[in-house]
Amino acid sequence: MKLFELFIAAEEGEEHIDRTHHWLWPEGYEIYFGGIASVMIFALLYWKAWPLIKKGMAARTARIQDELDAAKQAEDEATAEAARIREAKGDIESERARMLAEADERATALLTDGRARLEREIEDLEAKAVADIASAGSRSVDEMRGEIARFAASAAERVVEGALDDATQQRLIEDFIANVGATSPQGASA
Amino acid sequence: MSTDNRIDGYARALFEIARAEGTLDEVEDELFRFARSYESSEELRKALTDDTIPAAKRQSIVEDLLGGKATPTTVQLISLVVAGGRSRDLPAIIDRLVQRAAASKDAEVAEVRTAVALTDDQQDRLRAALANATGRTVNLKVVVDPSVLGGIVATVGDTVIDGTVRTRLDQLKSRL
Repeated sequence: MKLFELFIAAEEGEEHIDRTHHWLWPEGYEIYFGGIASVMIFALLYWKAWPLIKKGMAARTARIQDELDAAKQAEDEATAEAARIREAKGDIESERARMLAEADERATALLTDGRARLEREIEDLEAKAVADIASAGSRSVDEMRGEIARFAASAAERVVEGALDDATQQRLIEDFIANVGATSPQGASA
Repeated sequence: MSTDNRIDGYARALFEIARAEGTLDEVEDELFRFARSYESSEELRKALTDDTIPAAKRQSIVEDLLGGKATPTTVQLISLVVAGGRSRDLPAIIDRLVQRAAASKDAEVAEVRTAVALTDDQQDRLRAALANATGRTVNLKVVVDPSVLGGIVATVGDTVIDGTVRTRLDQLKSRL
């Protein structure tokens, strides 16, 4: 009922409860209680939320600082790596040059050594060929001498066998007996 | 018993038998000649050392070979060795017997090889010559060996007196 009455009264335009007394300012009690409430809220916020906000800000600052430090460190490391790479590149270049020089030197030494060895081997082969030829010649001569000696011995044996008649046999026996008989006991020889 | 002891045992037994029979000189000489024949004849060696031939058969070979040419004692002694299966040791046994016989007479065995046979006179003079050369009494054993070609080689103990044509020819071959 009350609500209805209020509605009627509003229709009639006696007093509009949804309208303030001023277009800008609220009602006085609203300012009063609103101000107190605002102060309390701000005080509460300052008391409870500010440390958290401050702490959060400090943490964020520290995190950002850490990130900055890490970035700086990364930059330093990248710079050092770049310097190392440049240095290594320089080392590689110098190593390459050194290896090439060493290879050239070795190739030259091998070539020189190979030539010298080949010359020595050729000289040795020539000397060996000369010695072999001489040895073969000497061997042939020796073999020929041996063969002649065998022929001579065989011929001598045949001649001697033919010459050994009965009289010769007896003469050999008599000579042996005479020679042995003339030998003293210390020096037995025929 | 070692082979050497066995050979010595056989030699001693043969020596005692021959001496008891009173035919030592003759038997010794015949045995020596048989030993040289045995060494030079491969056929005889094979016949007497063939284990597949019965001992009695081998003994009969010896008897056939020496029958009428040697004294019964010599034949029996060789048959004894052959029957004992010691044919391979025959030359060594006989040489040991000859040495024993010579030693019993205080003499040295002189093995003489010639291309032709020596007369008795030559043997006597050679015996005397060797005795003069060695200073010992020698028991002469003559072997006719055509391989010496001519001349004589005499072995008295460790002493060798070589006057053969074969040796001179060999020396000539060496020099050539």
